[in-house]
Amino acid sequence: MSDAPLFEPRPPDLPGLWIKDSGPENDVVVSSRMRLARNLRGYHFKPRQEEDEGKRLTEHLHGVLSGLDHDLRWFDMEELSPTLRLVLFERHLVSREHVDDERPRGLAYTTDGTVGVMVNEEDHLRFQVFAPGLNLEAISERIEALDNEVASRVEYSFSEQYGYLTSCPTNTGTGLRVSVMLHLPALAYRTSTSNDDEPGIVKVNNAAQQLGLTVRGIHGESSKAEGDFFQISNQVTLGRSPDQAVGDLRDMLGQVIEWERQVRQILLEDDRLSVEDLVLRSWAVLRHARRIASEEALQLLSSVRLGACLGLIDGVGVTTIHDLMVSMLPGHLQFRDRAKLSPDERDAMRATLIRNALAHSGPTS
Amino acid sequence: MAKCDFCDNPATVHMTEIKGGEKTQMHLCEFCAKQMHPGDGGSGGVQKVLEGLDPKSLGGPPLAVRLTCPQCGMTYAEFKQHGRFGCANDYEVFGAELKPLFKRIHGSTRYCGKTPDGGAVDNEEIEQAVRAVRAKLDQAIREERYEDAARMRDEIRVLEAGEAQADVADNPDRDEGDPADHPAEGEA
Ligand SMILES: [Zn+2]
Ligand SMILES: [Zn+2]
Repeated sequence: MSDAPLFEPRPPDLPGLWIKDSGPENDVVVSSRMRLARNLRGYHFKPRQEEDEGKRLTEHLHGVLSGLDHDLRWFDMEELSPTLRLVLFERHLVSREHVDDERPRGLAYTTDGTVGVMVNEEDHLRFQVFAPGLNLEAISERIEALDNEVASRVEYSFSEQYGYLTSCPTNTGTGLRVSVMLHLPALAYRTSTSNDDEPGIVKVNNAAQQLGLTVRGIHGESSKAEGDFFQISNQVTLGRSPDQAVGDLRDMLGQVIEWERQVRQILLEDDRLSVEDLVLRSWAVLRHARRIASEEALQLLSSVRLGACLGLIDGVGVTTIHDLMVSMLPGHLQFRDRAKLSPDERDAMRATLIRNALAHSGPTS
Repeated sequence: MAKCDFCDNPATVHMTEIKGGEKTQMHLCEFCAKQMHPGDGGSGGVQKVLEGLDPKSLGGPPLAVRLTCPQCGMTYAEFKQHGRFGCANDYEVFGAELKPLFKRIHGSTRYCGKTPDGGAVDNEEIEQAVRAVRAKLDQAIREERYEDAARMRDEIRVLEAGEAQADVADNPDRDEGDPADHPAEGEA
């Protein structure tokens, strides 16, 4: 990373934290996200780009994006402090690669944080749109509108055979990745029938593969699903139109959501005491801990979230949990405190943040 | 170099089969040729004559490894190693070599969706038709019905050629120049 000061002299306004808003099917679905990869004709892809060409491209796209009706604020990545970059990474507005890369590149986002554009990441343009809960139609419309507007101002690399040409062949075609983050504590625990020793999530995984979809943990590539949060996304971008990809995902989600709800109820009926014990122990730790690491916090928040959905805990909603899941991350804690914190200091600050957020919650009487 | 009858790899194996006095010629890549002789237990009354390997396949690396994009210098070997294209022109330069790759990643080699100017490309019907014939073709090969296989191969060619012509007609100026010659224009 560059030797920019750790913090901006004046803290810039962060984009809005949209994930604390409620959304459709919020008991199971945390958020929906879509991205499009696009490249401009006349410029090399990233692996073959000279510094000078990268600069020209970034400046050109800065101009294009500033002229749109989307109220996008522009940032040169090099001008952002390492802490702010980390915050934006934790909000999914930039990728890890975009944070660390040293070549010319930019970022534009709307003040509400639901629309972001990475410029000169792996592809020249990476549009992203987010929404709380399950909201594929809305984000699909929004990202298509943005893409069409840009398309009228630049010439994309495109062929009739392969569609939108991207740097990586896994994105060739539509350049679309649509993904939905789900909380599946019941399916991760078991299936609906107790004599079936395979947890339901294994079946979800198998079904997804047959549909050309993929299931991952919260942090993307790793298969380990921390806190029982899972991302389901499309993999195929060639031979399936965006509408078909979104349709495949929606069909599958409809079933997974219903299934998770059923198994949650079955768990409650079959073994209420165990479920209550898990939920309230987790709540008690979060309510009183003086230090907590983010992995442990995520695991416990997952159980509290389940408790809130099942009506075992009052005074805390799923959106509070979603807010904490982002606000408790290292970049956010340091940005808030405007100090570089040691891991121990972060753990203490995280515990305080969570304690305060859960101050008015408690077991349902 | 001629292409394999069953895929887009270069044909290096040429064979003639004679059945009931009828002679059919087949031109295959090494991969497909192997598939036609699975273990070769000598079953079935089909006579296969290997006319010989293409001399080009005997010396030096296969053609694909020598492909280089004149615009960005990306070689096919480097692309295979890192999995990233260097520029849009690589898609043209690596041409047929990419089809098996896209088939593996996406199960398809044809785009389906909108165009940047507001139109739409729908290759789904052709894609489905090709898939259906290809399945029958695989079956025919497994059952060593080579005359049927040859007919289906021609059928696939017709389907794909129809599409290729449409591509050219729709896209008269899609050939690439030097990237530096085309600074993309913005109106904003
Ligand atoms: Zn072949
Ligand atoms: Zn190239």
